[in-house]
Amino acid sequence: MKNNIELEAIIDDYLQGRLSEEEVIALEQLRLNDPSVDHKIVTHKAFLDSLNQYGNVLSLKQQMEKAHQQIDVAALSEELRPHPSIVIKLWRRNKSAFAIAAAFLLLTISSIYSIQHSSSQNGTYEVMRREITNIKNNQNRLVRTINSSTSKTEKGPVKNAKFGGTGFALTANGYLCTNFHVIRDADSVYVQNNKGESFKAKVVYRDLQYDIAILKITDEAFEPLSNLPYKLKKNSIGMGENVYTLGYPKDDVVLGDGYISSKTGHAGDTTQYQVAIPINPGNSGGPLLDNYGNVIGVITAKENQVDGATFAIKSRYIQEALNAIPQDSLGKKVVFSKKNPLQGLSRTKQIDKIQNYVYMIKVYN
Amino acid sequence: MSNKLSSSVPTDREVVLGILNNSEDALNRLYIGYFPMVLKFILNNNGDEDDAKDVYQEAIIILYNKIKSGDFELSSKLKTYIYSVCRRIWLKKLSQQSKKTTNNLSDFEDVIAVEVDVEVHEEKDLQFEKMGSALLNLGEPCKTIIQDFYINNLSMQDICEKFGYTNTDNAKTQKYKCLQRLKKLFFQS
Repeated sequence: MKNNIELEAIIDDYLQGRLSEEEVIALEQLRLNDPSVDHKIVTHKAFLDSLNQYGNVLSLKQQMEKAHQQIDVAALSEELRPHPSIVIKLWRRNKSAFAIAAAFLLLTISSIYSIQHSSSQNGTYEVMRREITNIKNNQNRLVRTINSSTSKTEKGPVKNAKFGGTGFALTANGYLCTNFHVIRDADSVYVQNNKGESFKAKVVYRDLQYDIAILKITDEAFEPLSNLPYKLKKNSIGMGENVYTLGYPKDDVVLGDGYISSKTGHAGDTTQYQVAIPINPGNSGGPLLDNYGNVIGVITAKENQVDGATFAIKSRYIQEALNAIPQDSLGKKVVFSKKNPLQGLSRTKQIDKIQNYVYMIKVYN
Repeated sequence: MSNKLSSSVPTDREVVLGILNNSEDALNRLYIGYFPMVLKFILNNNGDEDDAKDVYQEAIIILYNKIKSGDFELSSKLKTYIYSVCRRIWLKKLSQQSKKTTNNLSDFEDVIAVEVDVEVHEEKDLQFEKMGSALLNLGEPCKTIIQDFYINNLSMQDICEKFGYTNTDNAKTQKYKCLQRLKKLFFQS
């Protein structure tokens, strides 16, 4: 019996890590040779775990008790108790619906105001999403029928898109960045890559203030991309730097070339660059890249009546938008980094690599 | 959402990191932050303040264990998770009380599936109760010695002084006797 207690004591010390090295080896040898010792160790471990867990929960309960005392429960429950009056009940249940309605109202008023306000200036701020006209639709349809009769079956929606824009991949698993105004009032969003394949996507994040939206490709046909070739540039970039963009003002990807002409955007907006680059409706949401293939911004709008004043949101705000999405769902993502795999490649080579990650955004409503 | 509330509620990341680092402040803010939500839910579904407190504390324990065990993925908002767990526990309690399921709960938040987590917790809670009653039956001074050594992590020397044993060997022998008895009580019950 005494021996037994000694063994238990050794096992206890063993599991708590208080044995010397030789003692550990000796016990493990014994454990290998004698199954009853092994059994004892296992049960004792289970027991210690329970004891440990008991201690943790106990102290957690004490902490919660302390926290609970800081709450004025009586006053709170008075406030939250179901109210006899139907009107107040209704108000409480549908608070969020009311809030949304109010937000819409505000938004409408403020956008009407801002339209009137900005029209008094010389140039107006014109967002570059493309309204796909009927004529164009007809042409598209022709092209598509030819395509489908030749080989592969056309995937994606049958109807033609109402609006178009551009977006680019932020992660290999299908998160895309585009402008908020591109997908505004969208019923459904499809994205199309440079091979002409369409995928269904959903909007996972909207930022009205910076005009950024993040989409996630939800289509089952979508296969994860290989590693992204470009990086997000963290620091702001100097005036005069050569930049270029890829976008979909028509059904094929188009390159636009220019330079940073001002470090602030429309009416001194510090969240944007002014870029001297020719863009057209459909370019909205396209990546703005520097000579080294770093993403430095998102094309968003141009000032009409002024030549060559295009605006792009700085890349920092893309990162802010990304931070709003749960990190685990992002998978491998673009990061701010100094080294860039595209660095040193000629522009043709860069574009060759990048264009697979630039998508046409098609919006239906 | 009122300003006062949103400023006191820590972000989800803060909570997870805080719990992993045993931060009392993070737990405090988490507790105070989401209690009103649960209180509102319980009060509007045939419960009172004490029910809310019980249900809520159970939910926090579930969250705490889940984070501590390391397999916690932030796939939904913590708020949604806590709400869903509380909802599940309360549904169970209601059906136990009245022997019939109530399916017209008034909901205030989104709900996700947490059945598995709640069941795992019930298992653990059983162990907790068992250990609690075993310790109670153990009596003094054994109970305090075991708690001091295994839960409060006091050294043998401290225990020796606290209980007035003449030397640590005596205290050790006493501790092992206590441990043996506790084990017996725990596995018997």
